[in-house]
Amino acid sequence: MNKVEIRESKYIDCSLLDNESEFLVLAKEPIKLTLLNLKEECKLHFDVIDNVFLQLSIFSNNQIKSLKITANIGENAKILTYFADFSKEQCKIDAEINLNKEQATCEWHLASLTSGLDNKQIAVSIYHNSPLTFGKIDNYGVCKDNSRLLFSGTSHIIKGSHKSTSHQNAKIMVFDQGAIGSAKPILKIDENDIEASHAAVVGKISDEHLFYLTSRGLSMDEAKSLITLGYLKPILVGFDEDIQKQIDAIIEENK
Amino acid sequence: MATLKIKNLHVEVEGKEILKGVNVSISEGETVALLGPNGHGKSTLLNAIMGHPRYKITQGSIYLDDIDITNLTPDERARAGLFLALQNPAEVPGVINSDFLRAAVNATREEKVSTYKFYKMLDSAVKEVKMPFDLATRSLNEGFSGGEKKRNEILQMLLLEPKIAMLDEIDSGLDVDAIQIVADVIKQEKEKGRGFLVISHYARLFDLIQPTRAIVMINGKIVLDGGVDLIKRIDQTGYEFIKTELGISIEKESSNMNEVSIGSCAVKDAIK
Repeated sequence: MNKVEIRESKYIDCSLLDNESEFLVLAKEPIKLTLLNLKEECKLHFDVIDNVFLQLSIFSNNQIKSLKITANIGENAKILTYFADFSKEQCKIDAEINLNKEQATCEWHLASLTSGLDNKQIAVSIYHNSPLTFGKIDNYGVCKDNSRLLFSGTSHIIKGSHKSTSHQNAKIMVFDQGAIGSAKPILKIDENDIEASHAAVVGKISDEHLFYLTSRGLSMDEAKSLITLGYLKPILVGFDEDIQKQIDAIIEENK
Repeated sequence: MATLKIKNLHVEVEGKEILKGVNVSISEGETVALLGPNGHGKSTLLNAIMGHPRYKITQGSIYLDDIDITNLTPDERARAGLFLALQNPAEVPGVINSDFLRAAVNATREEKVSTYKFYKMLDSAVKEVKMPFDLATRSLNEGFSGGEKKRNEILQMLLLEPKIAMLDEIDSGLDVDAIQIVADVIKQEKEKGRGFLVISHYARLFDLIQPTRAIVMINGKIVLDGGVDLIKRIDQTGYEFIKTELGISIEKESSNMNEVSIGSCAVKDAIK
């Protein structure tokens, strides 16, 4: 098992790591870790110590069967995750973020595209183990052909974690008749003095939007690609230009 | 000179016949006012001409420049030179207005415009409709006010330079200053020879743009096609004279029409 200390921003080629890796994030300045080339099966653990701000950007475009991410977040520390998931075929992604001390924060943004016969299950859970913690999950998906996409996950606020905030938002756009999208955002709350919300939207691309765009001369394919890009676009801010171009190219291929 | 010819057009929306044999033609350089009571098919005609998939043509045909466009897709009709400014333009989250406009400009031209040329075009069009430039860089119509959406429609028309532009209640939701701006653009485009088919319930817009012809749609048909004095007459006396002079009884809006208000499409509400 790899144990890596992180003190500065860097790219990590995951294919060079063992199947299980632990990262201890110690940086004083805000840092950005970009993970590429995920292995078919891997477990990644992050310890984000007090007062650290970690941006974790993950781009997957190969096949990943199983990915498990766990993170422990310290006092006044923050993990901001951008996950661009363009993996293929069967895939199970589990993320579990523990907000262990006061003022710990997790913001999670994920965009996922499924096509062909892909079958993806993505579960993101946040545990609010201390007061004044903040959690936000945004999962966006585009589901095409005969693929399946499931978003699930739990925001768990344990008793005593007062004045904590937890929001979950799951949206899936279903493109084709054989595609199945499903979203189950769950809240488990054992404390009264908190703020929490969850929302889920699963639906097809709007006919009115398609008519509007095509009536201006865009072909049906161009219109769909522009709308898809728009749906997955919020994730792009987490990546540098080179990866943004790769993401654009994948969406272009899949229109 | 381009001419849009509609011959015996019958259109159904979700199984209900709305247009029952429309005959009309509009040429480049003409500005035609389309009048008629709510729920008689004005918006349906415009949507059917543009090729909205919900509006099914069951009989008749549409020609542009003697080319049959009845079975073309909306994008093919746009490339042929038609444009429809929608009554309620959709908000499309995530699609950046300027990306969309550039894709549209490139789709409707033989040669692709360079980034530099496009921004010059956009900059001058934005100034013409007096729209803040930042609206061009935001998500398409998302969070725009009613007036901003309508100006964005006119902006698209300026960039796409259609042969015939159809405007569906372009003045609803506009304040006095914005109506003046939109009317000025229409007048100036009119002089360049663009053809217009304009729906409005307010004589004020027609006073400003001065149509060259007026047509009246009742019961899904064009019953009058004539001079602009019709506009004034209808504004002052309503549609009663059509019954007394032409012997056409105006079908009452069916009882479930009471949800219809200004700014909504009467036909869409009627078939809910």
